[in-house]
Amino acid sequence: MAKGDKTVETADRTSREKQEAGALVSPPAALADSRDGQPGWIDPDMDFIRVLSRQSGDSLKKCIQCGTCSAICELSPDPKPFPRKEMAWAVWGMKDRLLKDPDVWLCHQCNDCSTRCPRGARPGDVLAAIRQQSVARYAVPRFLARWANEPYCVPLLLGIPIALLTVVLYIGNSLGVPQPSRERIIFPFCNKLPHWLLNVSFAVVGILVLAAVVAGAMRFWRAMMIADGRDGAALPAKSPPARIVAALKIAVPVLWSIIAHDDFAKCTKTRLRFYSHLSVLFGFLALSLVAVWVVTAKVNPLIPDGLIYPFGFWHPWKLLANLGGVAILAGCLWMVVDRVRDNEHSGAFSDWTLIVTLLAVVVTGFIAEILHFVRLEPHRHVAYFTHLVFVLTLLMYLPYSKLAHIVYRTTALIYAEYSGRNGKNTARTAGREEES
Amino acid sequence: MADKIGVFICTGYGIAEALDIDALRKVATDEYKVPFCKLVDSCEGADLEAIVENIRSEGLTKVVIAGISPRCYSASAFPGSVIVEKVALREHVVWCQPAGHEDTQMLAEDYLRMYIAKVQKMELPEPFHPEEMIDKSILVVGGGIAGMTAALGAAKAGYSVQLVEKTDRLGGWLARQHKSVPRKPPYVELEDTGVDDLIGQVEGNPRINVHTSATTSRIAGAPGLFDVTLESTGNGRPAGDVLDTFRVGAVVQATGWRATDPRDTLPYGKLKDVIRNVDLEEMVKEQGRITRPSDGKDVKSIAFIQCGGSRKKEHHSYCSSICCLTSLKQAVYLRRSDDEAKAYIFYEFMRTPGQYEDFYRSVQADPGVFLTRGEVTEVTRDGDGKLVVTARNTMPGEQIHVKVDLVVLAAGMQPNSADGEAIRALEDARVVVTAGESETQRKEAAEKVARLKRHEGTAILNLTYRQGPDLPTLQYGFPDSHFICFPFETRRTGIYAAGCVRQPMDGLGSMEDGAGAALKAIQCVEMISRGEAVHPRAGDTSYPDFLLQRCTQCKRCTEECPFGVLNEDEKGTPLLWATRCRRCGICLGACPERIVSFKDYSVSIVGAMIKAVHVPDEDEEKPRVLAFLCENDALPALDLAGQHRLRYNPFVRVIPVRCLGSVASNWVVEAMSAGYDGVIMIGCKYGDDYQCHFIKGSELAATRSENIGEKLEQMAMESERVELHQLDISEYDRLPKIFDDFMEVIEEHGMNPFKGM
Repeated sequence: MAKGDKTVETADRTSREKQEAGALVSPPAALADSRDGQPGWIDPDMDFIRVLSRQSGDSLKKCIQCGTCSAICELSPDPKPFPRKEMAWAVWGMKDRLLKDPDVWLCHQCNDCSTRCPRGARPGDVLAAIRQQSVARYAVPRFLARWANEPYCVPLLLGIPIALLTVVLYIGNSLGVPQPSRERIIFPFCNKLPHWLLNVSFAVVGILVLAAVVAGAMRFWRAMMIADGRDGAALPAKSPPARIVAALKIAVPVLWSIIAHDDFAKCTKTRLRFYSHLSVLFGFLALSLVAVWVVTAKVNPLIPDGLIYPFGFWHPWKLLANLGGVAILAGCLWMVVDRVRDNEHSGAFSDWTLIVTLLAVVVTGFIAEILHFVRLEPHRHVAYFTHLVFVLTLLMYLPYSKLAHIVYRTTALIYAEYSGRNGKNTARTAGREEES
Repeated sequence: MADKIGVFICTGYGIAEALDIDALRKVATDEYKVPFCKLVDSCEGADLEAIVENIRSEGLTKVVIAGISPRCYSASAFPGSVIVEKVALREHVVWCQPAGHEDTQMLAEDYLRMYIAKVQKMELPEPFHPEEMIDKSILVVGGGIAGMTAALGAAKAGYSVQLVEKTDRLGGWLARQHKSVPRKPPYVELEDTGVDDLIGQVEGNPRINVHTSATTSRIAGAPGLFDVTLESTGNGRPAGDVLDTFRVGAVVQATGWRATDPRDTLPYGKLKDVIRNVDLEEMVKEQGRITRPSDGKDVKSIAFIQCGGSRKKEHHSYCSSICCLTSLKQAVYLRRSDDEAKAYIFYEFMRTPGQYEDFYRSVQADPGVFLTRGEVTEVTRDGDGKLVVTARNTMPGEQIHVKVDLVVLAAGMQPNSADGEAIRALEDARVVVTAGESETQRKEAAEKVARLKRHEGTAILNLTYRQGPDLPTLQYGFPDSHFICFPFETRRTGIYAAGCVRQPMDGLGSMEDGAGAALKAIQCVEMISRGEAVHPRAGDTSYPDFLLQRCTQCKRCTEECPFGVLNEDEKGTPLLWATRCRRCGICLGACPERIVSFKDYSVSIVGAMIKAVHVPDEDEEKPRVLAFLCENDALPALDLAGQHRLRYNPFVRVIPVRCLGSVASNWVVEAMSAGYDGVIMIGCKYGDDYQCHFIKGSELAATRSENIGEKLEQMAMESERVELHQLDISEYDRLPKIFDDFMEVIEEHGMNPFKGM
């Protein structure tokens, strides 16, 4: 290689590093871990190693690359299996490489590999830590993802929804917004707060969250595409619309497989994980559906006018919500038991925050419901306020907490199918057919 | 005193059930007319005590006990003034032949005959005592950790020690290290080397006489009688000055190792910032930090390349054993200096044996240490002055490049030894170059000189041995010995190798080695002072006697002795240094004039055994095969075959020999003349991974058996009637097949035509 070439390459690299550091939404091209756009140049990111190490129970560096993890993993595809290669990249601090790797999301952290690792390197937990870093990389805005992973930020993270709700209450109270007499009064101490204001506030947060989620997923998708292209893998379809169609074609069976927990069922360490996650997922879906239904009651053309809120105990919506709550409660308790029983590693911070938040949502929900039925004043209002705080916490930190896996894992699974990662190569074949 | 022979026949262990004891008894009493023959119930406990009592009360001087294998008796079971031979009726007859069969009976009777004939010829050995007193002090050559440990160990055991060090101070490599790898639990913290303390102990010990800046310019004599001359290396006194002369009994060679240049494919010496691990160690020891040789700046990243001078066929193909640990240690030096520093280690195999595994794990856990298997293909200088290391087949990728400040190569470990045999061969060739008889001879000698020239001036011990001034070495320059079974042993009795000159090892291993070699040296001086042989025939008091009147100066004995026992006078007559001798009898097998004999092992003793066997006439169709079995592996294997009740051919008559190398070709000729149908020799494996306890015995036997084959053909017999097999002790199950296959060969060729003549 001529000397002159290198100078140019170094300059390229410097500008790219600046871009990456400065831009909030950095172009995916900046995610290359190579010095000059060519693979193989390694400059380990030691902070990344330290973060991964800390988040995975200081086990990462124990890896000796024996490959037991990849051999026993039920989900790992035959060509380029994971998590062995991810472990090597992690040990060598190859941050960019890892954050563009869909494989880290194919793992469902059954921890079969962690229990069978002869060195106690816990690849399952390391992949979980990488996923958390992935979320932090692609989340919009990024600082929220950073906060979401720091224990000392917990008061701040809880303070924001409390403040938001208080502000809404204050506005409702002070503005003296006209209130239909039929409307139920939520809080006696601010009796002017209209329920619709609450619904609108939640809807606004929901829309912002949705936007953040979509932006994050798109950044992730593009990063994976570029990584793949650079690795020499042919991209399945040429034009953007064709790609979207191809992706949608794949998305439906992937989503169905997620709902059915096909991958979870393959993990052999414990069936408990399958049932607990299934239970929480269905509970979450049920409650989300009820919540959306209720919040959008006034504007949703699907909902008849006759919907009277609040529901009675035996109302089908109320029953569904209660069942959902029970499912989450049971699933989360199972998860807690699972983690407590695992002596080696009892779950990362992000893992616990999600479980605790979910538990807080359903527990406060049930307390508020019971207090409401016994009409205990003002306790039931305090309970309801607390419940709302946790619901808002869960909702607004969805793109940054562990809950973000809903988005990224789905994206990665679709991408894996789309790019033919699992060997099935559906989209690639479809793309070629279209071309011919 | 007249000999009185006694025979004891054991009837226990199923012997009486399988054999006609009366007929067996008649062999002793009627055929050989032994004055005393008794049946005993067993060969152990009270019965054995009764045998010993009988030996005493009857005044027996030579005894044959036909019962269990000689390996089943303790060494002190019988009085030392009596010759006792044991016939393994149990292992070699009853357990491996059908009970009550005619052939089984013949086998047992033949064995009894052979051993009675043997004791008739045997004499009681008298221990060898030289005219001068055996000196029990010990010379240690080399003042590194192995040498110092050996000196201290011997001194603590009460022996006076002469410690010779080439440089001006003790300590060796250990003194050049900044820190030592962890040597105590939990094996994670680097330690001080402790070398000053060790040097203090050595210098403060009144029994140790330390000579620095000195080399051994001459070691004459033999164990117990080594006369040492020390010469100045030029440090203080003029080089070549004789510093001291003294006598010692044994020598520990702990001359250590030197670092070799890394392989040519790596740019050592071409790029300034590519250095060896020993250079880095010295740098840290001197200045306490790591800097770049090119610009003197602090180093923030290092690529360690393992096996830089080892484990490549074209270079050193062996593992130098300490480089992995050294690189891990030096990676810790770097990481201690800067928390953001990066240490990359490229290895082929990470070797951290034993507890060092814990040290490896602790370094591995450091986020700034990057370990990968892989092959470094290129090291180049980048535009910014840094080095780019390219490696393939690594863990993080097929081909990777890392940028570093410094590249450190693991240098190979080369023993500081000299090839004594090559040095001697060089001298001999030089003589032929000038005094050769023919042109071709002179030309060949000149080529040999060119090939061996690199050995010139390499001598370390400067022994006055006929076979060369230093220990014979193996292919990599390590002194030749069976280093797995018999560490410290060399092919020169009384000289023991310790530390890295013996095999690559770490400091702890060197200390262990030093202690072990010191014990060996002590054992040697004590045993030779009692006139006994050392390993492997420890305690043997026989020694070879040369009937020099009949010597033809053919030099076979002086050349073939694996231990350099024999020097020569000008005419080539062997001069025996008996304390060098291991009593293998290879000289006996070498001598065409049959002038070498031991009191209890000689051409005529074994000849008598051969002739004692009753060889049936040709028409009886009972062939006879004579088998010479090496006592070290093949004979115990035969015992094992018996213990496992393996059946084998009843026509085989076994004679144990000290080593296959001690088989005189005359015995084979004698056997064939006596009507045996074939001779089979079974000895240890030879070649690069030889198992022969006497290094060259079985190999020499193989060479000689080719000559024997020719001799047979001269006698109008097929050369196939002599076979040689290699066997190790675990292969006892092969013995029946070896015998059966040989019988088929015999059948093919028919009976010996000399039968009955």
